[in-house]
Amino acid sequence: MVGIDEFFKSSRPAPKKKTEPSGGLTAEDILATIPDAHLPDVVEDKKFNFFAHAKATSSTGGADTPEIPSAKENCLSGLTIVFTGVLPSLDRDAAENLAKKYGAKVTKSISSKTSLVVIGDEAGPSKVKKIKQFKLKAIDQEGFIRLLSEMPAEGGDSEAAYKAKLKREDEERKILQQIKEEEDAAQAKKLARQNELKVKQEELVKKAASSNRLPPEPVKEISDDEKLWTVKYAPTNTAQLCGNKGQIQKLKNWLDNWFDNAKHGFKNAGPDGSGIFRACLISGPPGIGKTSSAHIVAEALGFDVLEKNASDVRSKTLLNSNLKEVLTNTSVVGFFKAKDSNEHNKNDKRFCLIMDEVDGMSSGDHGGAGALSAFCRITKMPMILICNDKSLPKMRTFDRVTYDLPFRRPTEVEVRSRLMTIAHRENIKLDPTVIGQLVQATNNDIRQMINLLSTVSKTQKSIGSDEAKDVAKSWKKQTILKPFDITSRLLNGQIYLPNSNHSLNDKIDLYFNDIDFAPLMIQENYLSTSPLGVHTQPEHLERVALAADDISLSDQINSLIRSSEQQWSLLPFHGVMSSVKPSSEVAGNINQRINFAGWLGQNSKTMKYQRLLQELQYHTRLRTSTDKKELRLDYLSLLSKKLTLPLVKQQELGIEEVIDVMDYYYLTREDWDSIIDFGVGQDKGDVILQKIPTKVKSTFTRKYNAATHPIAIYKTGNSVTSGGSRKEKVDYEDVVDDDTAKDEEDESQADSSDKIDSKKDKLIKEVKPKARKPAAKKKKTS
Amino acid sequence: MTKTFSTLLELPWVEKYRPHKLNDIVGNEETVERLKRIAEDGNMPHMIISGLPGIGKTTSIHCLALELLGPDLYHQATLELNASDDRGIDVVRNKIKQFAQTKISLPPGRHKIIILDEADSMTPGAQQALRRTMEIYSNTTRFAFACNQSSKIIEPLQSRCAILRYNKLADDQVLARLLEIVKLEDVKHNSEGLGALIFTAEGDMRQAINNLQSTVAGFGFVNDINVFKIVDQPHPLVIQKILASCTNEKNIDKAIELLDGLWNKGYSSIDIVTSTFRVAKTLPGIDEKKRLELIKEIGFTHMRVLEGVSTYLQLCGLFAKICEL
Repeated sequence: MVGIDEFFKSSRPAPKKKTEPSGGLTAEDILATIPDAHLPDVVEDKKFNFFAHAKATSSTGGADTPEIPSAKENCLSGLTIVFTGVLPSLDRDAAENLAKKYGAKVTKSISSKTSLVVIGDEAGPSKVKKIKQFKLKAIDQEGFIRLLSEMPAEGGDSEAAYKAKLKREDEERKILQQIKEEEDAAQAKKLARQNELKVKQEELVKKAASSNRLPPEPVKEISDDEKLWTVKYAPTNTAQLCGNKGQIQKLKNWLDNWFDNAKHGFKNAGPDGSGIFRACLISGPPGIGKTSSAHIVAEALGFDVLEKNASDVRSKTLLNSNLKEVLTNTSVVGFFKAKDSNEHNKNDKRFCLIMDEVDGMSSGDHGGAGALSAFCRITKMPMILICNDKSLPKMRTFDRVTYDLPFRRPTEVEVRSRLMTIAHRENIKLDPTVIGQLVQATNNDIRQMINLLSTVSKTQKSIGSDEAKDVAKSWKKQTILKPFDITSRLLNGQIYLPNSNHSLNDKIDLYFNDIDFAPLMIQENYLSTSPLGVHTQPEHLERVALAADDISLSDQINSLIRSSEQQWSLLPFHGVMSSVKPSSEVAGNINQRINFAGWLGQNSKTMKYQRLLQELQYHTRLRTSTDKKELRLDYLSLLSKKLTLPLVKQQELGIEEVIDVMDYYYLTREDWDSIIDFGVGQDKGDVILQKIPTKVKSTFTRKYNAATHPIAIYKTGNSVTSGGSRKEKVDYEDVVDDDTAKDEEDESQADSSDKIDSKKDKLIKEVKPKARKPAAKKKKTS
Repeated sequence: MTKTFSTLLELPWVEKYRPHKLNDIVGNEETVERLKRIAEDGNMPHMIISGLPGIGKTTSIHCLALELLGPDLYHQATLELNASDDRGIDVVRNKIKQFAQTKISLPPGRHKIIILDEADSMTPGAQQALRRTMEIYSNTTRFAFACNQSSKIIEPLQSRCAILRYNKLADDQVLARLLEIVKLEDVKHNSEGLGALIFTAEGDMRQAINNLQSTVAGFGFVNDINVFKIVDQPHPLVIQKILASCTNEKNIDKAIELLDGLWNKGYSSIDIVTSTFRVAKTLPGIDEKKRLELIKEIGFTHMRVLEGVSTYLQLCGLFAKICEL
């Protein structure tokens, strides 16, 4: 929104009354009448107003929704408002929407540009500090409501509001201009198209007449009205793309200079470092114009676009056979154009490959990502890869070989003019303030917003802010939350307040987003909050204890669910006990970064130690008469001393003694390491190992390896040589790899032989055993 | 019963009385209104209809397709795949793509329609493969998805579609439809019976009609006793009364009396505990903290019952404990 307000900036707090038109009410006048809210921990009490304080504390008790006055239109225009803490009876989201509805700019963090802060309970200390630092006006909920009811329309006559108004008008003018331009362009295009069709038609008729045939049917043209809005209003030039201007420019530069770079063999990085890449990777969430940008940029530069997407099979074999040849081709499109018709003549014979939805390569596309990243290193024509999530493990192979262009979600301002243009052309009355809500509901997804408009407009021709609220609610995209989001929502105190409209079912649903990770994440992070309404440490400790109780009880339930009993009907109960209840005890401000569950790492460590211990027990069982547990508790600490002290005290001379002990217990050299690893406290592995000089250690290893040692029990698995079992183990993955390797060899040979066809065809099952033989052979020779 | 045996062996009533016109669809007026406009104007957008089972998602899509294309073109220009069909990535890449590419001459404003029922059971890979197909062939082909959980549809597909959410049907909407059927089928009933049907269906029209048919087939007369015999579920209202008397009035005797009623009807303790759990989640008039404590107690009893201790004493213990809270 139009926030340019520096009116209440600390540097010039004096009222600007003199410069204003006479008789006008300003935001500051009204704000001055509203008492300041009480700031917690005020060091130097600026303007402490006991009345407001009393009111603020008394109003925290009631949970009933206060009556919100109907304010005048755009009355908060030009103000930048920050909401912090828990407002006594207004939901934070509701309050923010209210402010936005009346034209204020709502931001999350406090800066010098903030004009006022609406403060509630439990406001973060850093925010309070900032308020003091910038000497900002802070009001409580009641003050906010009063502000709403008293502000005149259009934000009064203050300079800021005036500026905001000017800016808004300016923007409207711009939109109108854009609409006109687009309409003209559409009209011109239509005319041109009609002319073209007419000419074509005449030609055809002429041809038909000359060869005495019936004139053919007129070519059918799909009219704009039958298209989806997302197609109808798809951007046609770079100016129409919303947001990411910088990245699009980068893409353009890279593509434009591609062949110059190719001449230098991709050695010169160039000013923006893009010169060394043969491919680029556009990444970003859906619906923000990634594919559109790639197509528009490539077409604007006169490239012939070849697109592959997730609806094509893109396995390694197919990429190898289909794409490889294409990469060195030239396009014939250029030959069909008149020489002087196109300014980008030099690019006319050039291809550009767009690989869409690279992260959509899945089960059917075996080895596709690897093959694609290999192409990125050698390609002879520019490749543009597009994906949603660059952080996925399977996308890591593209990290070094592609020019990274992350696209961001466009902001409200960037989207607004485009949406207004569309609404205007479709004759829908769209309230500009509604766009903010749409942006929020769709997660800044332009395509979704256009879809939404097109559907809603079927029945409603004007969309005001009240209708938009319902619309936005039902259109909210539902996606599965990531473990981190689940944790931050559960541990955030907001959802447990009586006036929050989250039912218990909503909270359990959070758990059901990821039933495996939610409990682990809560267990990892439940200590790092400061619970709401808790001020002393013992109280906090009590809450933590309650939460810990619940978590441990939930473990009992978990064992019933996942053990052989498989009582999955207990799952909702497990959700309550493992996630909802503990977090309801400790929910509040989250003080630290949310950590990933450490349980997984610890668990695998436990398993490893169990395995080592098992091995030790096997080896020593002729000399010891205990089970695994007893061995760890009774024998190992002593053994550890016996195996290390001689080395520490007598250095090289102690080696003999240690080896004797090892032989007596049938321990191997690896067992020596693991016994030391088991040490805790003073005897911790690292501590002991530090005491033994490296020279002694290496002599010890050499001496041990030089002699043969008694082995009590052979593991059965080891006695069989690997040769026999190998052959059966050749799995599909190996087959595919070797298959493609073979294909590459075959390519160098004659292409005409029939064998290759059957081999390339994945659907022929009989090929598999055939392919296995060369695979096995290869392993033997290597 | 005046009916002969043969007339009882007809189609399930849910199929027999499935609406064939958008006008006949009950509930979700606003959304259905929108669909009607689409059916008139043509140019149907891609859409996802999501909502609970039995509220008319699939029916609406079929009605819409039928009204858009007419009975002649309907079979030619629609492709319907549901969870019983193979919908792996290969089918999306071959069958669906081919259908999208085929040319069928349709009147202006009409498009081929691909109906993907139960789309939430499609694998993410298959959904990924739909993305560009939806865009490239959008001039000739439109997609309609029906699903229970829209969160199981990957975000890029949601972004391409109009998302229509269906809400539970209101009780009077279900009742109106039931009365219609009752009249057409000439079923003997009383109002308590219909009330019980509506109550047990919880806004699920299909279940209400199925239960109605089973009750008629089993007893021939629809009253609440017969309905609860068919549905066989401890009456949630009774459970709610028990919980209320425990939490608000602290009156254990009254609670036990009501419990006896349920127990003597022959409900097993597992049925009673699970419906207590469900009722407690939305029990009005208690604050969140207490509700969680309540659920904790019920849950542990549930555990014990599952472990095999499913005695009457356990249930009494549960309600006594709730009184203590």
